[in-house]
Amino acid sequence: MAKVFMKGNEAIAEAAVRGGCRFFAGYPITPQNEIPEYLSWRLPEVGGTFVQGESEVASINMVYGAAAGGCRAMTSSSGPGISLKAEGISYLAGTKLPAVIVNISRGGPGLGSIQPAQSDYFQATKALGHGGFKVMVFAPATLQEAVDLTYNAWEYAERDRNPVMILMDGCLGAIMELVELPEMKTADRAGTKTWALQRREGEARLDRMLTPYFPEAMLEYENTTRGKLYEKWAENDVMVEEFMLEDAEYVVAAYGISARVAKEAILRLREEGFKVGMIRPITLNPFPKKSFANLDYSQVKGIIDIELAIPAQMKDDIALEVKDRAPIYTYGRSGGVLLDDESTYIAIKKIIEGGAK
Amino acid sequence: MKKSLIFSGAGGQGVVSAGVMTAKAAVDAGKYATFLPEYGPEQRGGSAKCTVVIDEDAIVSPLAKKCDILVTMNEQSFKKFAPQLKEGGVLLLNSNRVTSAVTREDVRVIAIPVDDIANEVGNPKAGNIVIIGALIGATGIVSEEEFLESLKKKFASKAPQIMEMNAVALKKGVELGKSL
Repeated sequence: MAKVFMKGNEAIAEAAVRGGCRFFAGYPITPQNEIPEYLSWRLPEVGGTFVQGESEVASINMVYGAAAGGCRAMTSSSGPGISLKAEGISYLAGTKLPAVIVNISRGGPGLGSIQPAQSDYFQATKALGHGGFKVMVFAPATLQEAVDLTYNAWEYAERDRNPVMILMDGCLGAIMELVELPEMKTADRAGTKTWALQRREGEARLDRMLTPYFPEAMLEYENTTRGKLYEKWAENDVMVEEFMLEDAEYVVAAYGISARVAKEAILRLREEGFKVGMIRPITLNPFPKKSFANLDYSQVKGIIDIELAIPAQMKDDIALEVKDRAPIYTYGRSGGVLLDDESTYIAIKKIIEGGAK
Repeated sequence: MKKSLIFSGAGGQGVVSAGVMTAKAAVDAGKYATFLPEYGPEQRGGSAKCTVVIDEDAIVSPLAKKCDILVTMNEQSFKKFAPQLKEGGVLLLNSNRVTSAVTREDVRVIAIPVDDIANEVGNPKAGNIVIIGALIGATGIVSEEEFLESLKKKFASKAPQIMEMNAVALKKGVELGKSL
């Protein structure tokens, strides 16, 4: 299949359509506006529905409704808008409904800035809403990865009957690069989904009822089941790139755009003889625990966590696995200030030279 | 060989389009390219900047602080981005709008009266095509034929006169780029 030169946000939108998405509701916010803009004309082409909601809250609840009807539904936003959608996302999780939520992240907290940042890591991985549920979080670093992960996001969401999040920084949302677009999936009919609400057409069929409200004992049972689901993710669904780890004395940890900037620095440091490698989580949840836990700590002298977030957030998840076996250094920018290749190279080198004393 | 380019100027000068078109031409010619725009809250006007990376191999990082080639379409962007050009790099500037003198002696300077040429061609909006022409003439980052092909695709739905004017603008730019 021919490759297309596409913008990140549009690549996600097209991949969603090809992945079977037939309903989108959202409210404008920079830096993700190309997603709704693209879907506003693209979804009607394939018989889908696009709605620009009157608010983020309305939009996520429309997604909730579409998902209840068995439709592959999506919403997208950026940090402040995702916060507004928190209640709806929790309801989706509570009702065990699949949907895809895209966060093209920008600086925070509050209204923050419209420039790229990775400061929504905690929100995405720890508490996307109230009630102690989790969602799978995919963090692409290239547009091809963004396409592939979005394309398959509903497979996970429907398998688990749980929302899925694509967390991508505004930088990757804005760039253009080559992507190969996959074939269009046949949009599943709601009828094949045993959990979806449907019309009763006179035939014998069990009534289906969706509820976000449960008697206590049943809710406890559902939450126990959720816990088991999260354990299964950790066993089966981790995606990670391990780069030049064999002889690495320093291991960079980075995801999304930070990983690409870091990789450029690592290649340069390798040429100078520094033994640096990288662990790049592709799923932030489930977190690639084993990659960090199983490093050879007789060889690894330090972990360097690089994020577009100050203070660094992924560091907490890394620390749980590294324990006290190696120091964890952090480097990053925040608030919408971008990392650059030169400063990142210098920062890593400084840490190595200081740490090697 | 990896090359990073910064295109800069005022909003409306076609700086972002110039970046996309150059990246697209490289991709159409079988190379890898990334395009990264700098975005802001402006609805129109303001400053415009984008970074393009072109390579034979897949591009690791689309971000580049220092560039090999800098295109500046106005005074403000010239002042802001000139320090980001690498030693030995190529500086292309619109001499109709960049008024201060170039003080760097470690770079190759290609000064083009972009606005004059665009007006001469009959399309004041074609300034970005003129400077891309100069870029092609001076550096060969993409070939003139490759760019023209890419340009034809972009303007396929527009009136043929527009493409004709663009082709002339490109040719004039290439000639100047080669001669300087």
